[in-house]
Amino acid sequence: MVNENLVKDVVKEPYKYGFVTDIETEKIEKGLNEDIIKLISQKKEEPEFLLDFRLKAFKKWQKMKEPNWAALGYKKIDYQDIIYYSAPKQKEKISSLDEVDPKLLETFDKLGIPLTEQKKLTNVAVDAVFDSVSIATTFREELAEHGVIFCSISEAVKNHADLIEKYLGTVVPASDNYFAALNSAVFSDGSFVYIPKGVTCPMDLSSYFRINSGDSGQFERTLIIAEESSSVSYLEGCTAPMFDTNTLHAAVVELVALDDASIKYSTVQNWYAGDEEGVGGIFNFVTKRGKCLGKRSKISWSQVETGSAITWKYPSCLLLGEESVGEFYSVALTNNLQQADTGTKMIHIGPKTKSTIVSKGISAGNSKNSYRGLVKMGTKATGSRNYSQCDSMLIGDQASANTFPYIKSQQPNSEIEHEASTCRISEDQLFYLQSRGIEFEEAVSMMVSGFCRDVFNQLPMEFAAEADKLLALKLEGSVG
Amino acid sequence: MEIIEKIKTNKSNDNQTEIQKICLHKLQSSPLPNPKSELWRLSNKSKLSNFLDYSINEKDSKFDIPYPKNSQSTIRLIIGENCQIKLIEKNYSIQQLSEDELQNYIKEQISFFKQNENWSELLNLSLSCKNNILGLKINGSKIPPIEIFSHASSNSLSAKTLVIFLEKNCDVELLQVNLGKENSSLSQTTFFCLKENSYVNHGVVSYGENRSNLLNSLNVIQQKNSTYNLGSLHFKFNYARFEINIKQSAGNAKTNIKGMQITKKDEQISTYTKIEFNGPDGFLDQINKSLADDRSHAIFEGSIIVPKIAQRTDASQLSRNLLLSNLAQIDTKPQLEIIADDVKCKHGATISQLNEEELFYMRTRGVTLAEASKLQLSSYFQEIISFIPISKDRWDLLDKLLNEN
Repeated sequence: MVNENLVKDVVKEPYKYGFVTDIETEKIEKGLNEDIIKLISQKKEEPEFLLDFRLKAFKKWQKMKEPNWAALGYKKIDYQDIIYYSAPKQKEKISSLDEVDPKLLETFDKLGIPLTEQKKLTNVAVDAVFDSVSIATTFREELAEHGVIFCSISEAVKNHADLIEKYLGTVVPASDNYFAALNSAVFSDGSFVYIPKGVTCPMDLSSYFRINSGDSGQFERTLIIAEESSSVSYLEGCTAPMFDTNTLHAAVVELVALDDASIKYSTVQNWYAGDEEGVGGIFNFVTKRGKCLGKRSKISWSQVETGSAITWKYPSCLLLGEESVGEFYSVALTNNLQQADTGTKMIHIGPKTKSTIVSKGISAGNSKNSYRGLVKMGTKATGSRNYSQCDSMLIGDQASANTFPYIKSQQPNSEIEHEASTCRISEDQLFYLQSRGIEFEEAVSMMVSGFCRDVFNQLPMEFAAEADKLLALKLEGSVG
Repeated sequence: MEIIEKIKTNKSNDNQTEIQKICLHKLQSSPLPNPKSELWRLSNKSKLSNFLDYSINEKDSKFDIPYPKNSQSTIRLIIGENCQIKLIEKNYSIQQLSEDELQNYIKEQISFFKQNENWSELLNLSLSCKNNILGLKINGSKIPPIEIFSHASSNSLSAKTLVIFLEKNCDVELLQVNLGKENSSLSQTTFFCLKENSYVNHGVVSYGENRSNLLNSLNVIQQKNSTYNLGSLHFKFNYARFEINIKQSAGNAKTNIKGMQITKKDEQISTYTKIEFNGPDGFLDQINKSLADDRSHAIFEGSIIVPKIAQRTDASQLSRNLLLSNLAQIDTKPQLEIIADDVKCKHGATISQLNEEELFYMRTRGVTLAEASKLQLSSYFQEIISFIPISKDRWDLLDKLLNEN
């Protein structure tokens, strides 16, 4: 018989990244109106078209209603009580990393993010975003040699305005949903990646998002464009300090893959989740969508969601190009009073398109973990195929696991398969492992890791190790 | 929508029963379901309004049973035909519920109803006159099979209600047949209460003629150790909704459901099921099959709700769908909502067309394409039809379905 309390202890683990960096920041006043948007745009010295884009989005947002269909309960967000721009004060122009405030470098160092030159060996280029602005992007010269553009979106607006104008808002239109409209109006920074024709990006690209102040929201925007026959692997990580207040994070990610291009987008999301009583934590409302525009293009989402008080996130693929492929691999762990409503949308539009969905949800404590996914076969998606698998694991009798798959087909010559299961940690397996001399905590951790194996296998190597460690940490608890 | 106007402006009159008054009152503020809610968002609005276009008919024309009675022992009942039922034999008894029993039970059920979730029931009970409500109390074993018919005459809307109490240790086979004549709407609501240790094989066969509509809702409450087997088939309706609500009130009960819906032309048929486990050790095995052809639309939404109290629940739900035309569409949404941790719950869904390899195999053996498709379909149908009680022996549904395909 498994000792219920033991399992519960095992899933308790304090948040490691909850420290606050004491740094002078420049903030604008709270509230949201046209003047604030103009101010943000002015601060970022943006061209006219972008200000127009923001203002149009704002107008649409004002007419929209906050969605309430998700299986989430949270206190009403006061959008006028949020600071929409916050940036660490720094010298006018930074030409090299040496000029970055050492406190900031130290922060990222503490988070294990290699920004400094001596850590180049890790061979991952990083764009570090602190509150509303990008602090540094590493390996730029090396990437430029291959024609790869990797910079913050503010820089891209200045230096590659043509690409921004051409692609921004084409995958996630400003009026797509409430949070995407809000983001389009006030987005502050984020990453921009452009991989030219025929180039395989020589290293993994990575963005690291850090919220530091308690009263400002983070609204980053990421845009990745992979030209014909190119490929890139992109990683994203997020943490935030512990505050008693809830911080809003509403991001938009847009991916565009042209003929034969492939984009792999991996996320390890570890925003602060609030304490055991559910006080504080990040409200994470994210719109991520990829457009497989070209023939044989491929977009693969993998995510490990362990943080945030509220998660509302559905990384999706629009499969337009013939024989394009969409993938979604997800692990979502919720504990205490966390609530997650996450899943994906696979919209098959072109013929012979294929998609795979593997989702693993683990709910512990009093948390709520829902999978919500849509698979749609359009009338032209002949010979298309989808396979979905959603497994949930429940730890303790207070947690809840829900599965809401929406399946729609208008094309007889296509196949959709969906399966879902819910289980608990098997007593037989635990007993077996323990009888072989494996400690209880380790056995639980091994089983959770095994449960998530299908997803971890899809993560880039460095990330897989980090994700495994992260889950193990969350499950380690009393053993430490 | 004549009926909705009537509900809106309703002034209670002496002919109305108390139940009608309560339900009309509940509907008055918002007489139509919320079209944006999950339960109604896929429902075809114009078809629903067509359902409500006919005027209410309280007295039906003479009803001809669609197939011959070839076993003397079968008990046949027609809802709406005013007859006294009192059968007391050595092993069993079938009696009509007293007016008080009927009223109290329905009133208790209404108290749990929500406007949107139970709109079909509320509409039914507000339209169903005294004559069209049949309440039965069944007791004993070795009961002959029972057939209950419900029908709507042409150019009218009929509302029929059936309430069945299965007493302790009772064991029965019951087939419910819902028939819609040309240009008609039938609102059928059934309440089933299974007491401890009771066992029922329940069949629901609904078929319509040209442009007929159906709103069929089934509410089942299962007490401990009861077994409820449901086999259902819905076809040939311009618009049909089959809503199943099953509650295992104290767990430890068994539910088996095998349902099928077939849509053609521009028909829309949907099945919504909600199974709640309110106690430990519940069991559910459910399969729902759809077949959509021409420009039709088939919908399945099933939710399984397992609260904390329902430990050791074992529930599985499968939605299998065949899409046979480029213009047809299928929506399916099997859902799990689980809080208890010691449970085994799973669901699955597939949408495809006929298996090409199997067709090819049969054709290499000299079977024509049409024959081979028919063979495949017959095996697809057979699993469900063999589960529908009584009809499988004397009413060759399989032939009926295949020959119309």
